[in-house]
Amino acid sequence: MTARSSTHSLGLNRVAWGRQSLRAAVLAYLAVLLIIPLLVILRDGLQEGLLGFWRTISQPVAWHALMLTLWTAAVMVVINTVMGTLTAYVLVRYEFAGKALLNAIVDLPLAIPTLVTGVMLVILYGPQKALGAWLDQTLGWRLIFAPPGIILALLFITFPLVVRAVQPVLLNLDREQEYAAATLGARPWTIFRRVTLPALALPMTSGALLSFARAIGEFGAIIIVAGNIPLYTQTAAVFVFGEVESENRAGASAMSIVMLGIALGLILLVDWLQQRQERETMP
Amino acid sequence: MSITLSNLTKRYNNHLVVNNVSLDVTDGEFFVLLGSSGSGKTTVLKMIAGLTPLDEGRILLHGRDVTAVPVQQRQVGFVFQHYALFQHMTVAQNIEFGLRIRKVAAAQRRRRRDELLELVGLTGLGGRMPSQISGGQQQRVALARALAHQPEVLLLDEPLGALDAKIRLELRRTLRSIQRELGVTTILVTHDQEEAFELADRVGVMSFGRLLEVGPPQHLYSAPQTEFVATFLGTANLLVGQQTAEGVRIGQVDFSLAERPSSMNGNHRVQVLFRPEDVVLSARAEDLPYPSLGQGEVAETIFAGSFERLRLRLPPMPGVRPISPPVKYGGDAMMVEAMRSREQAAALPLQPGDRTWLGVRRVHPLDHPGLNFLLVSDGSPQADAAVKLGGQMARLAHARVTLLGYGQPQSGLDDYLRSAKKMMGNGLTGLETKAASGALLPAIAREINGQPYDLIVLGLDPNEHMDTVEQILQMGDHHLLLASRPSAAPARALICVADGEPAKEDVLFAGRLVRHVGAEATLLSVMKDGETEATQSQVDRFLAAGVRTLELLGVPARAAVRKGAVRETIANELISGNYDMLVMGAPLPQRDGKISLNGLISQILGIIHRPILIIRTEPGSALH
Repeated sequence: MTARSSTHSLGLNRVAWGRQSLRAAVLAYLAVLLIIPLLVILRDGLQEGLLGFWRTISQPVAWHALMLTLWTAAVMVVINTVMGTLTAYVLVRYEFAGKALLNAIVDLPLAIPTLVTGVMLVILYGPQKALGAWLDQTLGWRLIFAPPGIILALLFITFPLVVRAVQPVLLNLDREQEYAAATLGARPWTIFRRVTLPALALPMTSGALLSFARAIGEFGAIIIVAGNIPLYTQTAAVFVFGEVESENRAGASAMSIVMLGIALGLILLVDWLQQRQERETMP
Repeated sequence: MSITLSNLTKRYNNHLVVNNVSLDVTDGEFFVLLGSSGSGKTTVLKMIAGLTPLDEGRILLHGRDVTAVPVQQRQVGFVFQHYALFQHMTVAQNIEFGLRIRKVAAAQRRRRRDELLELVGLTGLGGRMPSQISGGQQQRVALARALAHQPEVLLLDEPLGALDAKIRLELRRTLRSIQRELGVTTILVTHDQEEAFELADRVGVMSFGRLLEVGPPQHLYSAPQTEFVATFLGTANLLVGQQTAEGVRIGQVDFSLAERPSSMNGNHRVQVLFRPEDVVLSARAEDLPYPSLGQGEVAETIFAGSFERLRLRLPPMPGVRPISPPVKYGGDAMMVEAMRSREQAAALPLQPGDRTWLGVRRVHPLDHPGLNFLLVSDGSPQADAAVKLGGQMARLAHARVTLLGYGQPQSGLDDYLRSAKKMMGNGLTGLETKAASGALLPAIAREINGQPYDLIVLGLDPNEHMDTVEQILQMGDHHLLLASRPSAAPARALICVADGEPAKEDVLFAGRLVRHVGAEATLLSVMKDGETEATQSQVDRFLAAGVRTLELLGVPARAAVRKGAVRETIANELISGNYDMLVMGAPLPQRDGKISLNGLISQILGIIHRPILIIRTEPGSALH
C-alpha cells in the first residue's frame, strides 16, 4: 500500500516538474519574442518624456497620417461589417451552385501577399487603366493614389474577418427562434432585424474590431495603392516607414506606440467579447 | 370544425414521412398526436402551422383553407420543445412580440402581458432574461408568448419533452387547466403515452407516417383496432386465436363477446387482446369466475408501489400464436403479463416458481387481423434486394415478418440472419428470423405449415426458377412478391386485369397492400383488337367498379384500357407510366391443383425487371 502510493506520488511529481519546465519555456519564448521588443519600443518612444512624445505625434504630418489611418479604417469597418454579415448569411442560409468554392475564396485575402493585393488594385483601378480611366472621366472618381484607394485596399484585406466571425455563430443559431417569430406573425425582414441580427451583434462587433485592428497596421497594399504623399495619402504605418528610412527613430517609435496601443486595446476588447459570446451560447 | 386535415402527404427524398393523414379536430378539443420518434407527428404539426410545406392534401382552420397561406397569416400559436425564446429579449418582450408585430398599443400590450404572466404563474418575472429562469419557467413563457395574440389554434411540439419528471408533471397540469380555461383548440405532439392519456380528449396514434387510430384514451386502450396500437399503448397480452360464432377461442377456451365486431364474419384467425389487469389469478381452478387459460408458473414478480406486476409462463396451446409479450428465442412457452392490487397480492402471495390458475376477465378481438409476411433469402444479392423491399413494405403495412434463411451452412446463415435482422429491425411490428437447413421448397413448405402467410417475398430470377415459383404458389393461399433487383417501396402500382381473368379479390388485396405503402394505382385492362362493343363496356364497368373499390380503400386510382398485344402493351404501359410495381393475378389452378405460369405471366416476367406481385385468386384466401 505504502509502496504503491509512494511510486504514485513520484509519478505525480515528475508530471508537475514537466509542467513547470514547459511553462517556463513558453514564458521565456514569449518574453524574447513579444514582451522585450514591446518594452524596447516603449522605452525608445518615451525617451524624451511624455511631452516629447506628444510633440512628435502632434506635428502636422504625423497627426494627419494618424487621422487618415483612423477614418479610412472606420469607413472600411462600416462597409465590411454590413457586407461581411450578408456574405455569411448567404453562405449559411442559401444553397446554390458554387457555394463551396465561394466559401473557400473568402479566405483568399488572408493568403495573398498584401503587396500583390495593391498591385492588383492598381492594375484594375489605375488612372491609365480602362476601369480607372472610366471612373475618373465619367464620375470624377480617383481611387488610386487617393484616400478611397486606401479604403478599397483595406476592404479587400479584411474581408474574411467579419465573415468568419459571423458564420459559425449563424450556423449554430437556433432556427426555432426564427420559426417562432414567424408563427407570431413576423415577416422575413422583421425576423432578420429583430431576431437574427441581435443574435449576431457580438460576432459582428468582434469581426469589426478585428478588421479595424488589422487595418491600422496595413502597409504593403497601401504603399502601392496610395503611395507616400505626406498630408494626403500617408498613413501611420507608411509614416513610420518614412521615419525609419530618414533615421528618425523617435518619430518612428512614438507612432508605433500609438498604433500598438490601439491594436492592444482592440484585441483585449475582442477577447472579452468572444468570452461573452461563449458564455451566452452555453446552455 | 377547428382543424381539418385531409389526405396530408409529405415526402423527403422519396421517403414517405406523412402518409395520407386525415383528421378533424373539433372546437375547444385537446387533441394529442402520439407516436415514437420518426413517426411523422411533428411534421404534421409543422404542416398545420405552415412551417413545413406539404406535398399533397389540404388544411382547413375554422373552415378557411390555409393550405397555401403563409405561416404569418395562419393565426396559430406554436410552442417548441426547446422553448425557442428570443434570447436577447426579456420575458415581457418575448410575450409582447406577437402584439408588437400586430401594432397593438403599448398600454394594451402591457395589460395583456400581465394577464398572461399571471395565467402561466410567472407574475413579477417579466423583467428577467430567458437565461435567468429555469427550463420549466421558460416553457411557461413560450406558452404565454404563443397565446398572446389569441391564436385560433394552439400547437404544442413535445412541450414537456426537455423538462425533468417533476416539472413535467406540474406543467402538464398547468397546460390542461389553461387549455380548459381558454377553450382554445389544441394539438399536442408527444411520445409519452402517460402524458397523452392525461391531457387528451382524443388521442391519435401515428406510426411511420400513418395515423393508425383516433379515439378517446380509454377507448384506444381497451378496444384498439390494430396490433400496433394494442402493443404501443400500455402492456398488452396479444395472441392469435380463432373466431367462433359467439366470440373467440383461445386454444380450448371459448370467450363470448358482448359485441361482435362487424369485421368478424367467419371462422378465421383473429388477434385477441387482454390487458394485465384483466388477468385474474387463483390457487384453484374452481374459484375462477372467468374462463381459464390453464395453470401457469410465475416467472417474475415486480413490486411497483400501489400494485404488483407478474409475468407468468403457460405451456404452449395448439393453434395459438403469441405476439406480445414476444416469445423468447428458442422458447416455446407462452408468456402472460398480469397485474394485481396490493390486497389481491396479500390474499394470494406468489413467488417465482409458484404455480397458479389464470383466468381472463375480458378479451378484445382486434378488427384488423394484420398482415403476415414471409421473406425468403439465401443471402444472395438478388434475395437481399427482395428482403429489403419486403422489409420496407412490411414496415409501411405494419406487417409481421418472418425472415427465413436457407441454402448456406448453419454458421454463415446465423451471421447473415443477424445482420439482416439488424438492417431491418428498426420499426418493424414483429420480426422473427429462422434458419432452414436444406432446400428452398421443403423449407417454405415446413414454414407455412406452421402458420399461414399472406405474402411470400422471393428474390429469385423468375426466368431461371419458373418451376420453383409455380410450386411455391401451389403450396398455400399466399400471394407472391418477386423482386430480384434493389428497389424502393412502390409509389405507383400497375394492376393488370388483362383478359378479365383475375377478379375482384385481386383488386382487394392489391388495394390493401398499395394503400399500406402509400402508393397510387392504375387498373389496366388490355383488349385484343376487334372486341365487340358489349365486351368493351363490360370491361369499362368492371374497371370503374375496381376504381371505386380502391378509392374506398383510400388508394388514389384510375382506370386505363389499352388495345393491342397483351405482353407488349403491359410492358409499354409499365415503362411509359413509370410504374414501380406490377400486380397480376395468378392463373387459376388446373384440375390437378397445379398452377402453370406458362402463359402470359412467364412472358411478362421474362422482359420486366420490376417487382411483380402475383395474387392468388381463390375463394377463402387467407386474408378475408
